[in-house]
Amino acid sequence: MPSLTVNDRPVDFQLDPQTPLLWALRDAANLTGTKYGCGVGDCGACMVLVDGQALRSCLISLAEAEGRSVTTIEGLSADRSHPVQQAFVAEQAIQCGFCTPGMVIAAAALLARNADPSPEDIKAAVPNLCRCGVYPRLVRAIQRAGRVARRVETISAAPAPGITPEDAARAVPAMKGP
Amino acid sequence: MALSRRGVLLGAGAAGGLLLAWTLAPRRYVAPLPASAGEVAFDSWLKIGTDGVVTVAVPEAEMGHGITTLIPQIVAMELGADWRQIAVEPAPVSGAYGNAALAAHWAPLWLPLATCLADEPGDWLARRYAEDEVFDVMADGTTITAFEASVRAAAASARAMLAMAAANRWGVAWEECVAESGFIVHDKNRLSFAALAEDAARRTPPDPPVLRPEAPGERAGAVLPGAALSFPRLDLPAKVDGSYIFAGDVRLPDMVFAAIRHGPLGEARLAGYDPARARGVAGFRRVVEGPDWLAAVATTWWAAERALGLIAPRFSVDQRADSARIERALDTALRRGDATRIAERGNPDAWLSARFEHVARYAVAPALHATLETASATARLVEGRLELWMASQAPQAARKAAAEAAEVPLEKVVLYPTGGGGSFDRRLESDHAAEVALIARQVGKPVQLAWSRWQEHVAGLPRSPAQAVLAARTAPDGSLAALKVRVAMPGATAEFGERLFEGASRSDALAAQDEADPLFLAGAVPPYAIEHLTVEHCPARIALPTGRQRGNGAALGCFLIETFIDELAVRANREPLSYRIAMLGGDVKLVGVLQHAATLAEWNGGTMGSGQGLACCRMAVAGREGRIAVVASARRDERGIRVDRLTAVADIGRVINADIARQQIEGGLVFAMGLGSGCATAYSDGLPLTGRLGLLGLPLLADCPEIDVEFIDSEADPFDPGELGVAAALPAIANALYASGGTRVRSLPFLAETT
Repeated sequence: MPSLTVNDRPVDFQLDPQTPLLWALRDAANLTGTKYGCGVGDCGACMVLVDGQALRSCLISLAEAEGRSVTTIEGLSADRSHPVQQAFVAEQAIQCGFCTPGMVIAAAALLARNADPSPEDIKAAVPNLCRCGVYPRLVRAIQRAGRVARRVETISAAPAPGITPEDAARAVPAMKGP
Repeated sequence: MALSRRGVLLGAGAAGGLLLAWTLAPRRYVAPLPASAGEVAFDSWLKIGTDGVVTVAVPEAEMGHGITTLIPQIVAMELGADWRQIAVEPAPVSGAYGNAALAAHWAPLWLPLATCLADEPGDWLARRYAEDEVFDVMADGTTITAFEASVRAAAASARAMLAMAAANRWGVAWEECVAESGFIVHDKNRLSFAALAEDAARRTPPDPPVLRPEAPGERAGAVLPGAALSFPRLDLPAKVDGSYIFAGDVRLPDMVFAAIRHGPLGEARLAGYDPARARGVAGFRRVVEGPDWLAAVATTWWAAERALGLIAPRFSVDQRADSARIERALDTALRRGDATRIAERGNPDAWLSARFEHVARYAVAPALHATLETASATARLVEGRLELWMASQAPQAARKAAAEAAEVPLEKVVLYPTGGGGSFDRRLESDHAAEVALIARQVGKPVQLAWSRWQEHVAGLPRSPAQAVLAARTAPDGSLAALKVRVAMPGATAEFGERLFEGASRSDALAAQDEADPLFLAGAVPPYAIEHLTVEHCPARIALPTGRQRGNGAALGCFLIETFIDELAVRANREPLSYRIAMLGGDVKLVGVLQHAATLAEWNGGTMGSGQGLACCRMAVAGREGRIAVVASARRDERGIRVDRLTAVADIGRVINADIARQQIEGGLVFAMGLGSGCATAYSDGLPLTGRLGLLGLPLLADCPEIDVEFIDSEADPFDPGELGVAAALPAIANALYASGGTRVRSLPFLAETT
């Protein structure tokens, strides 16, 4: 059975080794943030980091992923704190959100190797399809994420999940703790 | 729950909070018939918890258009809440959320013999229909039109009740209290909604409710791109970490996964298959037969899909959709068909019969929606109760389809709305609801159905194809004296209506393609003062079932009118902007957006070689109007069509959320680019010839032009910005292509035609 590292945890998949990584992640590991849009590499909704590279998980079989380290959108950060996540929310470069995980992964991979990308760098690194039309905001959002990654700017746009009522009441006067 | 005479419902909501409900009919409308007295309309919008959480019900699936932020924002502003205390939950399928505005707009579809009775959004008949029939369809940008008033009324009443509770404790007049940031305030006294909620529930609010003088909204000009937002979208944090739930992300104990093969478009029946061929597929469980489809069920979706690939079911098909036949049918209808006059002015019979100074012919191909999420739904049938998880613009229709397929009573079907991965009106169809229900019934386990991309192309109904002729009589100075618009296409709205309202099958609904379609063709009525005008529809039966799509009649009509007007301006040697403005004396607002867009885009006159084109559009839906002008810079390059810049100025009345409105215009412009560069498919033997997303010519980030969007400050009632950008961008780009090199575009998608 193919074994690999998914979001820093070792996983043995009891599946046909020819199963595309996408479906192993979604249907066996229940990591449903990685989306199916086409199954043939046209859309990029299924992008994950494989050893740091943004790859389309629909095109990689479990056998090919054997021994490699996979990071999905769920594993990019525990609390939405990745600069790309914060910047996408701050710039509202999201509409329906279906292409978002793949886009975020593509942008994260770009910034990991080039934290100060030009618009041309970004256009070349983000081939993902979006039908709602967030493109006009993407260059701005990814460059802003780059500034956060380079520590020349901070963003606090997407709150961490699971805020306790106590913390909420401390931050928002109108809220009341238990 | 009990309803008081005044129509205000008070009861204990979740968490000991306050549930407010609202009746509309007796309060805001005079019922024209006595029977209305006992049939109270009922809406339910917000809860206030003793923890301070204000939960807002949202009666429409989030497809990316921001409705899960807009409705709560209206509540927050009217109530005086802190945006951070707002929570949302999807409203259940209920007549309480009947969309009377859309019911009125679509009255010809459900009230064919008496369309004049229900032509205003506030009309009692439409409201009663929407509520009694649970007409909860969300389309044509009618949601805010339908619900803003009742949402505001509910929030204003809640605010009054909270103020009454506070005033009682302080011994002051409640009218002197104000609500802000989640507190009721009077002088130095201050109490939170959380502390007042239970007490407030016992109060009786004023009737009618006292609204804030300022309607909810933002000054769009003050919200610059990338700036900090007063009302950031509530759905984005969950969307950026993968935790947001689409229909295919639901996970249930013991759930299995289903893939499906549909027969070709036509009258298809499942003819045969051999399940033994899939024996070797690990995880494959079984097949389920539908009337014109076959599904396979397995422990992963991929195994199910692979099994179907090996099984390769056969279908027998009559009346296969075929592009050559479609084009012949449209051509015959256009040249010789019986025309229904949709609009006329002046004396078109005298002016528009034989001799024309200019004539142009147009062709529009079927276009796919290409939502990134394929049709997906999850179902569980336990002890006669069917639960459905899906995104739908017509949830009641989806429930009905599922109930019928699974043979359970309608009241035993629960639909949990999930987010939709795009829709563009694709999610008005309910086929996958019926399919997943039948599969769940056969399998006896929770099941998740997802169509493959190929199936989305095979069985997702495209925007209707069309052919058209525009013909003009011009005065010696080149100005337009008379215009004839003649469009051949199926009666697409009636065909869709047969499926939605009557539950007709795709092939049964085809008969309605013979009907005239005034709703769709309204988009082809120009905004210009033209002395003699006729707009005619020649219905054509094309054997290809068609669906609705973002832009609808406005996209087709605006493309025809605005490219043709451009041709006339060129012929007359007139500058296209002033040529238009000369005919817009009756629409100062449209002149305003045109001039504003021209200034913003540094309009250079659109002369040959400039590569600049413009177009404008006025839409009217359910008594409200929106306007837009788009200036495009475009050219042909080695990759095809290159759009360098799009500038849009829209007048959508009061802007509720400036950045969401901007998103909608931006999205519309990009969607139009897709319709111009591709989205199309031909059909042969009932199957689409374009089977992959990658072959649809859809724009990518690298194709995205520089885009500027601005809004006109206005206090008029809000108009939904979702379709305006689609409509005006298509002809603006086409006109820019002409101005870049003399190639006139008269087709969708754009194909080169030289004049």
